[in-house]
Amino acid sequence: MLFLMFRLGRDRYVLDVEQVEEVLPFVTPTVLAGAPHGVVGAINYHGGPVPLLDLSLLALGRPSAAVLSTRIILIRYPVGEGETRRLGLVAERVIETLSRDPADFVPSGVEAGMPPYLGPVAADARGLIQLVRAEALLPPALRDILFRQLATSP
Amino acid sequence: MSDASGTFAAAAAWEIDDCWRRIGVQGDRSCPELETHLHCRNCPTFEDAARGLLDRPLSADYRAEWAAHFAGEKAGETDGDEALAAVVIFRIGEEWLALSTSVFEEVAEPRRVHSLPHRRNGIVRGIVNVRGELLVCISFATLLGIDKDAEVERRDRSLHFERLVVIGRANGRIAFSVHEVHGIHRFRPNALTAVPGTVGQAASAFTKTMLAWQGRSVGILDETRLLDAIDRSIA
Repeated sequence: MLFLMFRLGRDRYVLDVEQVEEVLPFVTPTVLAGAPHGVVGAINYHGGPVPLLDLSLLALGRPSAAVLSTRIILIRYPVGEGETRRLGLVAERVIETLSRDPADFVPSGVEAGMPPYLGPVAADARGLIQLVRAEALLPPALRDILFRQLATSP
Repeated sequence: MSDASGTFAAAAAWEIDDCWRRIGVQGDRSCPELETHLHCRNCPTFEDAARGLLDRPLSADYRAEWAAHFAGEKAGETDGDEALAAVVIFRIGEEWLALSTSVFEEVAEPRRVHSLPHRRNGIVRGIVNVRGELLVCISFATLLGIDKDAEVERRDRSLHFERLVVIGRANGRIAFSVHEVHGIHRFRPNALTAVPGTVGQAASAFTKTMLAWQGRSVGILDETRLLDAIDRSIA
């Protein structure tokens, strides 16, 4: 199975590529005034609005660095009943993919205290790689606000 | 970006230590790592330096330019689910032609054609051995009436990409040689244009539609008519 790797601070995280639609350069977003914490705005993706979530801001409390390796991962975010919506994730060092057996990912043992979007971990020579579950990235309340806001905007 | 300096410590430190120029293969080759990696391009330090290039700060122009790019229509896309057709593009003489991938079986190295007695004329050139299987080899140039010798004009090319192409038909496989195979090309049906009525090209009898490809017009051959014609000719 193929995973897309990115970094939060020094640590490596992966997303299942099945959910990834495209990796975009870090384009300038339109700021959504009053948007909840972690949401840095929305981008115009071929005519449709896509909300943008900064993973560094969510997890580390600081925005992603504006460098070339910071990219937007466009994922298909499930919104129930087989429907998906596009969601942009700003992440640092989106420059690698990783091929691993899904069985390599094992529970890290401290899941109770972790944010809900973090999943099991896999080990390699340089440390641990954590799997991020895209479904859990937005708390349900935030998801409602975000997609409703975009749907009603002109 | 003006805020790049404050947020990312590494952004300031992306200055590259070009050890490959000092002690590596472009320097005096004194680096101890060369023992294991043989060449700097195999060395993880070199790899990290290359990755470091991606840690350069983004300019505002870059971000705005890409924002404008993605705001526009997706290039060449009318409907996301529209089926793509695929053809293999090849060249015989001066003509670039394309044939549906559905009839393509194999592209092989050119090999000797053993001529058949009493079949010196017509489109059959003889038989070829493709991985142990004896196949009839035909001349597409003769079948389509293409001037084969037009290739002489391309003498400036240092490499020849002659290939033997195997296509499948209902009653067995058949081989023919081409001067060059470009590869598989996928396109949307709206990229096709009708064959011009005045076209004087020899292959037009078998040409179904025209495809614009790399500034050229490529004739897409009608596989049904082509295979019928082959069957008639070699019977």
